[in-house]
Amino acid sequence: MKILAVIKKEYREIVKKKSFIISTLLMPLLMAAMIFLPVWLMKAGRGEKKIAVADFTGQVFGELQATAGKPAVKEKFQLNTEKAPAAVAGKLIFQAVEITGADDETLIGEYQKKIIDKEVDGFLMIPADIKSTRKALYYSMNVSDFDTNRIISSSIRTILAKTILLEKEIDPLIVNEATRDVDLDTFKVKKEGVSKSSSGMEYMLSIMMLTFLFSILMGYGQLIQRGIIEEKTNRIIEVLISSLHPHHLFYGKITGIGLAGLTQVLIWILFGVVLLVGKFFPAVDQSLQGLLTPEIAIYFIVFFVLGFVMYSILFAIIGASVNTDQEAQQLGAPVIYMLMIPFFVGMMVTQNPHSPIAVVISLIPLFTPLLMFMRIVVSMPPLIQVFASILLSIGTIMFLAWVGAKIFRTGILMYGKKPTLGEILRWVRYK
Amino acid sequence: MAQKIYENALELTDLVKDFDGKRAVDHITMNLKRGEILGMLGPNGAGKTTTIRMILNIIAPDEGKLRVLGEPFSEALKNRIGFLPEERGLYRKMKVMEVLQFMGELKGMKPAEIRRKGREMLAQFDLADYEHRKIEELSKGMAQKVQFISTILHDPEVLILDEPFSGLDPVNIEIVSNLILTMKKRGVSIIFSTHLMEYAEKIIDSVVMIDQGKKVLDGPLTALKAEYGRKFVRAEYEGDASFVASLPYVSQVRDQGREMEIEIADLSRKNELIRDLNDRLVLHSFQMAEPSLQTIFIRKVKEGGAQ
Repeated sequence: MKILAVIKKEYREIVKKKSFIISTLLMPLLMAAMIFLPVWLMKAGRGEKKIAVADFTGQVFGELQATAGKPAVKEKFQLNTEKAPAAVAGKLIFQAVEITGADDETLIGEYQKKIIDKEVDGFLMIPADIKSTRKALYYSMNVSDFDTNRIISSSIRTILAKTILLEKEIDPLIVNEATRDVDLDTFKVKKEGVSKSSSGMEYMLSIMMLTFLFSILMGYGQLIQRGIIEEKTNRIIEVLISSLHPHHLFYGKITGIGLAGLTQVLIWILFGVVLLVGKFFPAVDQSLQGLLTPEIAIYFIVFFVLGFVMYSILFAIIGASVNTDQEAQQLGAPVIYMLMIPFFVGMMVTQNPHSPIAVVISLIPLFTPLLMFMRIVVSMPPLIQVFASILLSIGTIMFLAWVGAKIFRTGILMYGKKPTLGEILRWVRYK
Repeated sequence: MAQKIYENALELTDLVKDFDGKRAVDHITMNLKRGEILGMLGPNGAGKTTTIRMILNIIAPDEGKLRVLGEPFSEALKNRIGFLPEERGLYRKMKVMEVLQFMGELKGMKPAEIRRKGREMLAQFDLADYEHRKIEELSKGMAQKVQFISTILHDPEVLILDEPFSGLDPVNIEIVSNLILTMKKRGVSIIFSTHLMEYAEKIIDSVVMIDQGKKVLDGPLTALKAEYGRKFVRAEYEGDASFVASLPYVSQVRDQGREMEIEIADLSRKNELIRDLNDRLVLHSFQMAEPSLQTIFIRKVKEGGAQ
């Protein structure tokens, strides 16, 4: 079988490449870093924070120390889905600042220096007229630490509310009741039942997988493209099609490169399994086990293959139509945009996986392999939609392969100027 | 599969091919006799490559008939054809034997057979030590040989070579010429295109001349030369020979500076020519000769050629 010779050659050519071996080994490390680093950073960022407080009202500090000093907010990126963990939210330690005789400016100046010297992490100034202005000032090296900011502002708000209510001589019990905190527990709704979960982790994971798929599709797509351009430039392509049917050459190429891609993905999945079974990172493993199920792995392979073949054909068509890498870049831009649409829409889809627009867009032929998979990761869609997506993908692939083989046949013999899209479409009609 | 007996390895009848309204090949008819070498000659852009692509079924003719090895073209025939395209190059990153493996398998050979024959041929071409080298590490001449091996590895019955001499230095032209003659001795029918007529005429049996898509002339080389031969003179000289073209009994001159080819319109005045040349030039040699293909070609094109 001649097509086998093509498959073998394309497969070997990629698998033997240094870049293939390196990326196969590096990707799991990168993935691990992407999973563990944010978790680690979150934990690390939640150490104790010393905040100096200059309270010009004399009323806020005591309360602040009593309420916000203890963990006020539950761990948002809750890793252990089984049992509620002891809150690991960063503990805030408030220190009163001697304010007698000091004016704002000198205090701020003094504490700016202390913050830089890391004597304290933050400096909070509560002006005397805070009740009317409702404005406090917070100085810190890191003012985008939203959790800390939120704890401080919500604590002050509660304290002010309490003070105002108490001044109106309202029963302290009622005041306490009225200003009590609200916890938001998040639950994930699945067919199999409700499970407590954290949306953050899943969102991250699905975006990660999307990035992953996207970069693989792009990478192999360009590889196919470049290979065909090389064959065109040195006219090997003519020897090839004087040896076998151009359609067989086309399908052989895509199959060979597809198998190389699949090999890489399977190696990565194997890495993942080893990592999970080995239980090297107990806390993370538990949560990942909930997400990286065998089911997801199977869907990953299915949608990877579908997406791969779909985009390979598009890149192969481009490679066959042009003469140089530069021309390929110009002509290939629309294909890359096509790939990027799911990437951007993906954020919306993960947040609202069952909205009508998410359902519709995840069933559009060129987007469906990426988006349906994302929806599966975030929240299992009805099986009928999953099957519809798979069937649609197969249909699209068959159509593209039919059109692509025709364009390929004509395009590989076209030298000289870059063809327009119209010309390429006309090639489909050539016999 | 019993092979059919065929008289002509290639039969092209009235082939026509248009590209975007422009006629690239205009009713070309030619035959390649079994076991012969046919040279398809003509300037660049004459339609040679298009004709070759039609023979190989890479593009379909708009009109006309084509038979290869006695049958209409089919996929099965591809294993019996060897083809060397004009611009050459191989997969630069692949090793010599890998290239041969791939090309051989595409022609339906078994891997073990390819290795055995591949080694044998590499040795024949003094490339035995390069089996595991990458193509990009070879010199141009060596890569050329490897590509030639990949073209003939599967023992094709008909060999189609597009501009086999282009871009080669004299040493490599010699090598390729010898390869072509070796293949002929093995009984392979060969067609090659070239615009370098002086190299072609040393090895071909028959010739087809093409200009602007049309066939200008064809036939066995010996017959062609005989037809034109009696009227030609070749002279080596020193001096200014510009006057020769204006001599009344001379119909055509191809002057190369120290040597010229003169066609005499009236053979009875041959002696007059010798005298005139002797008077006005230092004449080193003078002989009745067969015309070169180039001269025949130019003459035919000037006559307004198509038959």
